[in-house]
Amino acid sequence: MKTHANIPDADGFYEAWLSAHEGLSDEQSTDLDARLVLLLANQVGDQAVLLDCIAEARRTAVPPAALSVAKPT
Amino acid sequence: MSAESWKFAPAYELPCWPFVAPPDLGSGARIRYPVVIAGGGLAGLTLACDLALRGVRAVLLDEDDTVGVRGASSRGICYAQKSLEIFDRLGLYERIRDKGITWSVGRTFSGADEIYAFNLDDESQSEQPPFINLQQFYLEWFLVERILEIGGTDVRWKSRVATVENGADGVVVEVQTPAGAYSLECDWFIDATGANSRIRDAMGLQTHASRGTDRWCISDVRFKVPFAVERWTWIDAPFNEGRAVWQHLMADDVWRLDYQMGGDADPEAISKPEVAGARLRQQLGPGVEFEFVWIGPYGYRDHLLETFRVGRTMFIGDAAHVVSPFGARGGNNGIQDAANLGWKLALVLEEQAGDALLDSYHVERYEAAAENLKVTSRTSRFLAPRSAAEHRIRRAVTALARRHEFARRLSNTGRMAQANDYSPSPWSGAGARSVQNIAFDDTTLMRCLGGGTRFLGFVVDAGPALEGLAQLGARWPVAFHAIDTASPLAAHLGVSAGDVVLVRPDAYVAARLRADDPVSVEAALRAALSRDEPTGAPGAAA
Repeated sequence: MKTHANIPDADGFYEAWLSAHEGLSDEQSTDLDARLVLLLANQVGDQAVLLDCIAEARRTAVPPAALSVAKPT
Repeated sequence: MSAESWKFAPAYELPCWPFVAPPDLGSGARIRYPVVIAGGGLAGLTLACDLALRGVRAVLLDEDDTVGVRGASSRGICYAQKSLEIFDRLGLYERIRDKGITWSVGRTFSGADEIYAFNLDDESQSEQPPFINLQQFYLEWFLVERILEIGGTDVRWKSRVATVENGADGVVVEVQTPAGAYSLECDWFIDATGANSRIRDAMGLQTHASRGTDRWCISDVRFKVPFAVERWTWIDAPFNEGRAVWQHLMADDVWRLDYQMGGDADPEAISKPEVAGARLRQQLGPGVEFEFVWIGPYGYRDHLLETFRVGRTMFIGDAAHVVSPFGARGGNNGIQDAANLGWKLALVLEEQAGDALLDSYHVERYEAAAENLKVTSRTSRFLAPRSAAEHRIRRAVTALARRHEFARRLSNTGRMAQANDYSPSPWSGAGARSVQNIAFDDTTLMRCLGGGTRFLGFVVDAGPALEGLAQLGARWPVAFHAIDTASPLAAHLGVSAGDVVLVRPDAYVAARLRADDPVSVEAALRAALSRDEPTGAPGAAA
């Protein structure tokens, strides 16, 4: 799994991703993200990398408690 | 809605065989047999038939006097290529082919759109097709008649196993019959009494059983609509409130339509003829005449016994493993358990193989059952998502599958049964893979495997090496055949000049070696048979 910066235009990607969600309900948005995951997974095409990414996504979830006490410093 | 009346076909007339008082009754002395099989379902009957052809005189005990399950219609319907190849070797394939429905194409629909299709013919080189559908009781019926035709098997109807004493030197079985109870004794006892085996439970063995919450209802129905003779599955059928449906043809123009129900469905309510009839009317549309053959609600269950061998007792078929019905991985694996065990029992009884060979039955078939459990559990989870997230992921798959090939592969309405591979083991250092029933040199692999229990060694472009190998045939149950590199069998096995491939009696490759190295070939036979020294006697009649 790559963790160094590998997206050539990171801000442009972020903007495109947000734009894709514009005007969608929460359900439509989460459905879009699920389709996006599948399309990207097929680009990766490497079982070990996919499983690493799933595990890392699961590991990096921010617990609800941490969200509620987070304050700007 | 106006009330419609529903027709039922007359019940199938199944054959009955008479109870005949066995010599054990009232003889006073306890008779000892080489093999006793309890249970005349697919697994037990296949084993009895296999043993009969190998010259092992087995006793088959069945508590009923007919085939099928009373009050029910067919259970299994799809018989896979490996099973059909076994039946070809056992001499009943043609009967199955003539009665059954041959198919190879499957299609999956979401709503009204086809999102996935496969054609199993693409990977098949066998003399047998990928699948034939047939009501299970027909298959059992043909097996019984074939066993009786071969002769040598003592088939005892109305004979229920009461107790089993699994001793170190033999197994003592108490049998109840209409004419009283008796005990018999055997070298090897086979429990093929099915999912609810009391024999297994009385031994206190762990099965790790679980039951699914998903509910289904089968309607076996006869109608005349020219539907494609293919396996059609809907993930979310518009005519079943957005739930899954299976549509498959079997013999006698009977269609199996299997409907997924709501999780809280009451089995009695969903199987009422008026409810099942209304469902069918939704699918078939107005004006199509049909008659019910059977309506049966069910839920999934599974279990996996920890060990398929306990001393002198072996568990085969549903007694050992049960999986959800996706992909025809139940009955086919019972049949394949039987074919895995038959030759091993025969060679151990002939003292051509060591007792430890029977451990390989557990190792190989447990591995197959565990794989089948994994595969069917994945299908089950695709078809019955357990949370909003699982629904969302499935929606993503079906949406993309409409447009893209890669996503079609993720849609999972069952992965059809294939002959399982076996991992590397003490019996087969490189693992064992099934060989299809290839036609070559005016014969077929199954024909070569008939008549006696021995390994086959296929030597490619043999040359002088064949002579050295042929001498092994005098000491081990093996017969060598020369084939040339252009032979379809050589192509299927992926071998080249100077190779020798050892094929087991159940059509699995045991080893692949060089023909000019008979020492290694003998070592492979020694390992594959769990036997340190050759017996000096040739194998069973070649």
